[in-house]
Amino acid sequence: MAFSDMMSYNSMKQPLQDYQAPNQLHFNPYDFNGGTILAIAGEDYALIATDTRLSQGFSIHSHDNPKTYPLSSKTVLGCCGFHGDVLTLTKVISARLQIFEKDHNKQMPTSSVAAMLSTILYYRRFFPYYTHNLVAGLDDDGKGCVYSFDPVGSYEREVFRAKGSASSMLQPLLDNQIGGKNQQGYVAQPLPLERCVTLVKDVFTSAAERDIYTGDSVQISIITKDGIKNERFPLRRD
Amino acid sequence: MSILAYNGAAIMAMKGKNCVAIAADRRFGVQAQTISTEFEKIFEMGPQLFVGLPGLATDVQTVFQRLKFRLNIYELRENRRIKPKTFMSMVSNLLYERRFGPYFVEPVIAGLDPVTSEPYVASMDLIGCPMETNDFVVSGTCSEQMYGMCESLWEPNLEPDDLFETISQALMNAFDRDAVSGWGAVVYIIEKDKVTKRFLKTRQD
Amino acid sequence: MFLTRSEYDRGVNTFSPEGRLFQVEYAIEAIKLGSTAIGIQTSEGVVLAVEKRVTSPLIEAGSIEKIMEVDKHIACAMSGLIADSKTLIDRARVEAQNHWFTYNEKMNVESVTQAVSNLALQFGDDDPDPGAMSRPFGVALLFAGIDEKGPRLFHMDPSGTFLQYDGKAIGSGSEGAQQALQEAFHKSMTLKEACKTALTILKQVMEEKLNATNVEMCTVTPQNLFRMFTKDELEAIIKDI
Repeated sequence: MAFSDMMSYNSMKQPLQDYQAPNQLHFNPYDFNGGTILAIAGEDYALIATDTRLSQGFSIHSHDNPKTYPLSSKTVLGCCGFHGDVLTLTKVISARLQIFEKDHNKQMPTSSVAAMLSTILYYRRFFPYYTHNLVAGLDDDGKGCVYSFDPVGSYEREVFRAKGSASSMLQPLLDNQIGGKNQQGYVAQPLPLERCVTLVKDVFTSAAERDIYTGDSVQISIITKDGIKNERFPLRRD
Repeated sequence: MSILAYNGAAIMAMKGKNCVAIAADRRFGVQAQTISTEFEKIFEMGPQLFVGLPGLATDVQTVFQRLKFRLNIYELRENRRIKPKTFMSMVSNLLYERRFGPYFVEPVIAGLDPVTSEPYVASMDLIGCPMETNDFVVSGTCSEQMYGMCESLWEPNLEPDDLFETISQALMNAFDRDAVSGWGAVVYIIEKDKVTKRFLKTRQD
Repeated sequence: MFLTRSEYDRGVNTFSPEGRLFQVEYAIEAIKLGSTAIGIQTSEGVVLAVEKRVTSPLIEAGSIEKIMEVDKHIACAMSGLIADSKTLIDRARVEAQNHWFTYNEKMNVESVTQAVSNLALQFGDDDPDPGAMSRPFGVALLFAGIDEKGPRLFHMDPSGTFLQYDGKAIGSGSEGAQQALQEAFHKSMTLKEACKTALTILKQVMEEKLNATNVEMCTVTPQNLFRMFTKDELEAIIKDI
């Protein structure tokens, strides 16, 4: 068969296709693994709580994965969002902490951990760590402190803050119960630790009722001058 | 952004002991701009029956008028007050008629049965899928915040005064964490022999 | 083969058979040609005093700067090849600001000194940081500052070695000045006394007659941090000596 015949044969068999947009495939570098964290600063203590569920969509990867990371005897980091980024970020922070300790012969103060975390996050301004962060601990005067962050490093010192999947359920209740919002004649006074712990258990129980990414159990870390104490409280497991 | 959140709203209803409450914010805005702080989102559909309509403001008013129309016909034909549950079906039916071009409202219904005075609350999505509960329902742009508040504050068998305090605190603290709802609130406490309407002064931001 | 000292004093990265790095030793010698600088650490703060060699009446004395501010809480005095100190001070300032930027706190005096020492040691490196040179730096530095450990005084020489001192003199008059410091220093010294002592000792070791234009003095205190003495303040102290 001559070459010209082949050409005409092919063009008869395969008429011109309708125009189609090119297929585009995308790699999505992020995922969301849920989790809720909550921190409260008291007079001489700080408290940070986390649920222990690690999930993805409708499946639960782990029932026992607290999202708080002790950084020193007086600082604890709460970190949730995309677990891959959480793992990397916590590793980077631990390494930086160790280097600092060797360089400057001292433990990094909580305020400096917060400042450093802000810069670490901002250096990834255009490919951020997908993590919601809280730093809780004692400041240089031994008072409780909480720092909250957005994923790209904006940060602020606060008295109480909820972050993560059920944050919007917890935060208004904290505003009301600790911040005294919408309570006429409310006078702020030091918050006893026992009341704080009860409140945290209550709000996490509530969040576990409505948020599928929060549940299994809540781990509460209490930071005082004597160190960090952990406490577990069961939540619904479905 | 969803059309449901174009104007902003927060509405919730709660059961108490022989009473129900329904409360809403009073803002009417266009995205971030507040236009009015006296907007009606809760409508009286009978002496002890109220419907709250959060969503697109134009649809709020249209849906209310069409509901009122159907309710009038019902009461003329039947010559009796509608039961809350029947009214819920009526709302659901109206919304489902627009299954593929819906009204952008997600109603909340609260009332007492005209005969037995049994408390009733229900909510539904914008195409009329109903949800009846024994505790509370929420709907609007800060529903997550409202769920968090209600889940913690609500308890069974609240007396009318306690129910008022509970629903007020739940609503105010929830919409204070929402940029497009708030600017004052209105609370209805519905009892067998009386309905109390109170306006709440709240922060204006 | 005839090995003299001169065979081993060419490269900065070759030890002599006796285990010496001659270029570094020569650099330390260079300090002894420099003008005298004195630092005294007291419980109230640190004082730095330096002599300025105004070799010609046509020199604008104010343009000779031998005390520099590293950060609000750290000062640095120098002796030797003053031009070499530029990159070292630059490094100290950058490190102090970087530390503040990253950790939102003041950098310790020791850490600043360590950072500068790291740069001073990079001579002859194959892949040095910007600012490092092929030979040792020809200056010695006195870092004075306030940090969480209180008032601190550090001395660093061209070999990169740094040590903390209660009182330290560097430069051409350092031998006599150090001796005088040892006799004059005591732990309960006030800052005012220290200032006067520093100038008195400088006066003893300087060739020129000490006056308010041929010395510079500064203090670093917890209250006022880095502060240079004005001409009037210097005159008031000199009058007392």
